[in-house]
Amino acid sequence: MNPSDRRYTEDHEWAKPEGARVTVGITHYAQDALGDVVYVDLPATGTRVEQGQPFGEVESTKSVSDLYAPLTGTIVERNESLESQPELVNSDPYGEGWMVVIEAEDPAAAEALLSADAYEQLTAASS
Amino acid sequence: MELRRSPLDDRHRQLGATMTGFGGWDMPLHYGSVVAEHRAVRESAGAFDLSHLGTLLVTGSGAQDCVQRSFTNDVAALPVGRAHYTLCLTDDGGIVDDLLVYRLDWGLFVVPNAANAAAVRAVLEESAAATGATVTDVKDDLACIAVQGPASADIVTAAGVDVGDLGYLDCAGLPVPAPGGSAVGGAGTGAPPDAGVLARSGYTGERGYELFLPVETAPSLWDRILQAGAEPVALGARDTLRLEMGYPLHGSDISPATSPVEAGLGWAVKGSGFRGEAAYAAAKEAGPARRLRGLRVTGRGIPRAHCPVSSRGDAPAPVGETTSGTFSPTLRVGVALGYLDAAVQLGDAVTIDVRGKPVDAEVVRPPFVDASPKD
Repeated sequence: MNPSDRRYTEDHEWAKPEGARVTVGITHYAQDALGDVVYVDLPATGTRVEQGQPFGEVESTKSVSDLYAPLTGTIVERNESLESQPELVNSDPYGEGWMVVIEAEDPAAAEALLSADAYEQLTAASS
Repeated sequence: MELRRSPLDDRHRQLGATMTGFGGWDMPLHYGSVVAEHRAVRESAGAFDLSHLGTLLVTGSGAQDCVQRSFTNDVAALPVGRAHYTLCLTDDGGIVDDLLVYRLDWGLFVVPNAANAAAVRAVLEESAAATGATVTDVKDDLACIAVQGPASADIVTAAGVDVGDLGYLDCAGLPVPAPGGSAVGGAGTGAPPDAGVLARSGYTGERGYELFLPVETAPSLWDRILQAGAEPVALGARDTLRLEMGYPLHGSDISPATSPVEAGLGWAVKGSGFRGEAAYAAAKEAGPARRLRGLRVTGRGIPRAHCPVSSRGDAPAPVGETTSGTFSPTLRVGVALGYLDAAVQLGDAVTIDVRGKPVDAEVVRPPFVDASPKD
């Protein structure tokens, strides 16, 4: 269920590197736990984010969760569609529901994140 | 304390509900999507299990006096077959509970919030001792199913219950179906649990019905209502639906620490001789220092309860705090209720502090959406 073309964090974000550009979103498991996503708060482009630190919020009818940066770098793109269609995070978390693109300072650091298999085991153990 | 289970508990689990503790009961929070459940009620019809609501009978020759002493609205003006919204106050004029009172041919049917059912019962019992009425708690015997939404009349009818031409806040007896039988209709006779109560009331802002019926008959009626096309809807959507209408929730927007005057509920205070009357009259005379207002977000963000609110302009100052807030699935913006200084006017621009982030909002008079239970 989790695509193998990208990496995962224990905080339920995914990170898909293409060179130094890393697209970031939240996982199917995360969106399912959140329920209906109704609001996504993302930083402006140019904002520097640090690995493991909160950089935004995703809010559902039930709760609010911080978004944690999977890598250190600078926000170079944000998904403006989520402003009017936050439900894309539920319907297509690995595609149209992406959140930001980070220009990573150390793209190789992505290799240290969880593989799809490892993430699958993590969520299987906690569900 | 162990949570009580609804007579429909197994139905909720079969439907995959996420359950939550509410007023001492283990009730469904949602069946998957709060937004989808909310839309079902606004666009078609939803079925709610409200078996957690308190259900008290007040009977005997002193029944009317008993209720008149206990609650604020004028029950002497309530005819048989009608219901009204009323308040139970503390001696200090705070709100113990907000509730509905239905008058049937056998007496008065009182439906408080689950968390306040024991407190309301105690108030009624004290009044009953002075008036000679009998207060009977039928919670162990009665379930409650609500069907709410524009298609509710068709669905309740298709489920085998004749809703007749019940108008808003009308009520009638609901005959208990024979075991295994599906047909219920016509006038019920006697007080619960010998008969149920059918009422056109609700907490969603849509046309809707509330059916109080013996617990053993509830699961089959629930099944027929879902088969007739109602979507199961749980407490999460009940909260977003009531908030879009600006209906206060006891425990959040109103409490023993708030008065009907500041909550804008003076319209439900028409009786006399009720508990807290002197304190209410004094509060009304003094006028409110703060008022419960609607807040509609004009910027981005979703206020929740306990967000500070401040005025805007050259010298922003604190003017109050939200008491509940949510994302409105109909408007697709944040909406909230909160107490604001009485000087704040409708139409004023304010800032809500949502977890440290300023969110712009406008002070409005609810309902936030264009809906009416009278339609």
